[in-house]
Amino acid sequence: MRRLLIIFTLFIICTACDNRPVATVTTIGQDGLRETVLPGDKIKVINFWATWCAPCVEELPYFESISSSYLREVDMIFISLDNKNNIQSVVNPFLKKNEIKSTVLLLDDPYAAEWIPIVDQHWDGAIPVTLIISKNKKQFYNKALSKVDLENAIKEFL
Amino acid sequence: MKTLKILTIAVVGAVIIAIVSGMLKTQERPDLFAQRPVPHKENKKKTSKKEKVNTLKGYSIGDAATDFSLKNIDGKIVSLKNYENAKGFMVIFTCNHCPYSAAYEDRIIELDKKYKNLGYPVIAINPNNPEEYPSDSFDEMKVRAKQKGFTFPYLVDAGQKIHPQYGATKTPHAFLLKKEGNQNIVKYIGAIDDNYHDKNAVKNNYLEDAVQSLISGEKIAVTTSTAIGCRIK
Repeated sequence: MRRLLIIFTLFIICTACDNRPVATVTTIGQDGLRETVLPGDKIKVINFWATWCAPCVEELPYFESISSSYLREVDMIFISLDNKNNIQSVVNPFLKKNEIKSTVLLLDDPYAAEWIPIVDQHWDGAIPVTLIISKNKKQFYNKALSKVDLENAIKEFL
Repeated sequence: MKTLKILTIAVVGAVIIAIVSGMLKTQERPDLFAQRPVPHKENKKKTSKKEKVNTLKGYSIGDAATDFSLKNIDGKIVSLKNYENAKGFMVIFTCNHCPYSAAYEDRIIELDKKYKNLGYPVIAINPNNPEEYPSDSFDEMKVRAKQKGFTFPYLVDAGQKIHPQYGATKTPHAFLLKKEGNQNIVKYIGAIDDNYHDKNAVKNNYLEDAVQSLISGEKIAVTTSTAIGCRIK
């Protein structure tokens, strides 16, 4: 009986592991972007994406699942390049449907040539891309990542 | 024992609530965003090869660009060598599916209309694999070109052999070429301008400024820029 009790308790605790609410979009500009790419207390994983970008949408679930397994170590930030006018009609519904709970920002600035170098000088301007930063390390991935790629990349920072 | 009973009831209740709320959520909703792409089996095998090609550096300013023979939407084969009177070309890698490309369609038409007669026509090339992006298929290209009234050739990079040589990684991605003898020399690489969203708020007309400089025989001030775009797949 006691064993059953323990199993039940564990089950309940585990379902509550990632109890963050589903994210909604916060809009940022170039200043917000500059702040976002600064190192923080945790390892920051910053992914640039858009709802219309198929390879981005493909890799997003890997990021989200890794985000909930490394909640203590990793700050997962998705920066959407969707049009600001589509936040209510497209982006937020997308986040709800895919149960994205990590931080989601939307960069509202059309002068891409100005802000692309803020992120990384090696960025050619195509999405998806991912930036991982800690206090003493920075790694930029100018490509889509598989779940294994991403996990290995994060492990290098742990 | 009593605690266990209460716990069991709580768990069963939670599960039922979760299932019911899950069922309520399934009402149909039109998806306005990209669906997760279904990987094409044959494609998977090819990707390792393709990645090798992608690691080619592509052109730098001053390199001689390769000519090509690619199929246009009217079925005819287009090569740069067929343009005997041209002084150069605006080769623009673009496509149907990418919102950044769509945002630039009208501007590309304007550029072609304005500079074709001055010797610098636009040659648009769709570099995407239609199995990755069905809306970039040959038939869809014809539809889009007709809708928008493209005044320039819209070519298919069949087999994706040309874009890696140029070093195009995204759409839209522009390459300005100037004829020098038998060669087409790369003079500018990058964005069309610096504001995809609003052409009235553009600060730098990179591509047009570069063409203007070539026409007036001046040095091009900005020869490369970084353009935002959709990764070529």
